Amino acid sequence: MTALLRYQAAILLRSHRWIFPLIAYGLLISVGAAGSSSLAETLDWSAAMLVPVVAFLTRAMLTAEPDAARACVAAAAGTVKAQLATLLVALGGGALLGIAGICFGLLTAEPPTTATAAGATSKLAALAGHPGIVVAGLLTTLVCLFVGSAVGALFNPPLLRHPGAAMLATLAAAVFGLASDVSPAGAALRFTSQTASPVAAHWPGSFPLAAAVCLLAVTWAASTYAATRRDTRSRAEG
Amino acid sequence: MRLETVGKRYGVRQPWVVRDVSADLPAGRLIRVEGRNGSGKSTLLRVIAGVTAASAGRVCGRPARTGYVPERFPGGLPFSGREYLVHMARVHGLRGAAGTGAVDEWLDRLGAAGYADQPLRSLSKGMCQKIAISQALLPRPGLLVLDEAWTGLDQAARGALDAAAMERAATGGTVLFVDHDAARLAGHADERWRLGGDGHVTVLPGDNAPRPGRPTAGDPAGYPTADDPADDPAAGRTVVTIELAGVEDGSLSSLATLPGVLACTGTGNRVVRVAASHSDDVLREVLAWDGVRVVSVGPAGDR
Repeated sequence: MTALLRYQAAILLRSHRWIFPLIAYGLLISVGAAGSSSLAETLDWSAAMLVPVVAFLTRAMLTAEPDAARACVAAAAGTVKAQLATLLVALGGGALLGIAGICFGLLTAEPPTTATAAGATSKLAALAGHPGIVVAGLLTTLVCLFVGSAVGALFNPPLLRHPGAAMLATLAAAVFGLASDVSPAGAALRFTSQTASPVAAHWPGSFPLAAAVCLLAVTWAASTYAATRRDTRSRAEG
Repeated sequence: MRLETVGKRYGVRQPWVVRDVSADLPAGRLIRVEGRNGSGKSTLLRVIAGVTAASAGRVCGRPARTGYVPERFPGGLPFSGREYLVHMARVHGLRGAAGTGAVDEWLDRLGAAGYADQPLRSLSKGMCQKIAISQALLPRPGLLVLDEAWTGLDQAARGALDAAAMERAATGGTVLFVDHDAARLAGHADERWRLGGDGHVTVLPGDNAPRPGRPTAGDPAGYPTADDPADDPAAGRTVVTIELAGVEDGSLSSLATLPGVLACTGTGNRVVRVAASHSDDVLREVLAWDGVRVVSVGPAGDR
């Protein structure tokens, strides 16, 4: 499995498929930071933007390998492991983006106290008094990371092979995942924004996280099942 | 390894591409799969290699190390040939020096070493094919599946792949191949699997000369057991040349006395002329010797 993860990570790095998600995420969280009035809002926004970005990063990984190369890997290591490695590398890339988003929020957003002291050190000192906001931001980020990966796995090859339909469905599902309370990401974000107060600690609850984990497991299982039965004759994917 | 009523279709409303295939694939067997275009040869090979799952029945006892060579290997990966092969060696479970050693060996045997550091995208079809073949042979696979793997290769590489396929079978691997050239590995296939247009497979005896002590009954229905080689008028008439590297002077006499060996010439690489009826046994024997490599195998008069 380590060898497969290294192989897929090398494909992600060397194919430059990470550049577009990185730029898109950077732009989105910069815009969000400019319009946010508190740290809690900034962290919520950077978590929310992870959903479409991770969904498209997952798509990038699922379409990166040519059919013939995928077939060789499948014979060598098995289709299930090969597909899981692909999804895991996209998830890992999304986790790195999520961590970067949280760090960006912590360093740039208004501190949760009225202290006027400037500089990163005093900001971090101010945060130390409000660990709840940071923990809530981390959990919301995790929920959004999982929902983004689930959307990417469900609406892209091998489950949805037509490129146009896959891209539109991925975008629509990402928007729905943020806007609807049915989605764990939507629920987590709605909860934190309803209770938002610049100094309050607002833990989104374990329910959205548990739901996101279940969603991830189901969609990854479906994608992996489809990968084992893939019609390797078709070359229309991507 | 065994196929139990294996069937494959790409969707529940799609027609069966392959259906009801039951066969044994014992170790050491070289099997030619034949049939018209679109008869399901590639699909059958993919199911056996584990690239795609069977829709019905099951494939049992697939060896741990499986190598698959697709009919086309477009260089769409962002690596050089050597980088790709080192990744594939790790995927096959070969770490560190074992992996890089195997990569160098196969690049060398297929004549691809000179181009291996160029990006895959810039390589010609033939060079990409050599990389695809190398990745399948890296782990000395217990199951080797070749889907028209010879297409686009130069003559030297075709010979090297012939030798590699026979070497796998001679050392206990199972080899399945499809090739449009009816003369490919002629005289060496243990069985021929013929795919009718309806997806059914008929197992026919191969065109190799029979060898004593080797089971030939793979078909449950049972095809006639081949005669003893001594009674076979065709056996022994055909001569095969085997080019070997790394044969020490001390081993020459034992090489010359192997059954079926007619002549042994050459100073660096030894060229051995063997009766076709004994070529597989000679190959199997010399491959067990330390340091000996098969450089090529061909009909007599080839060189």
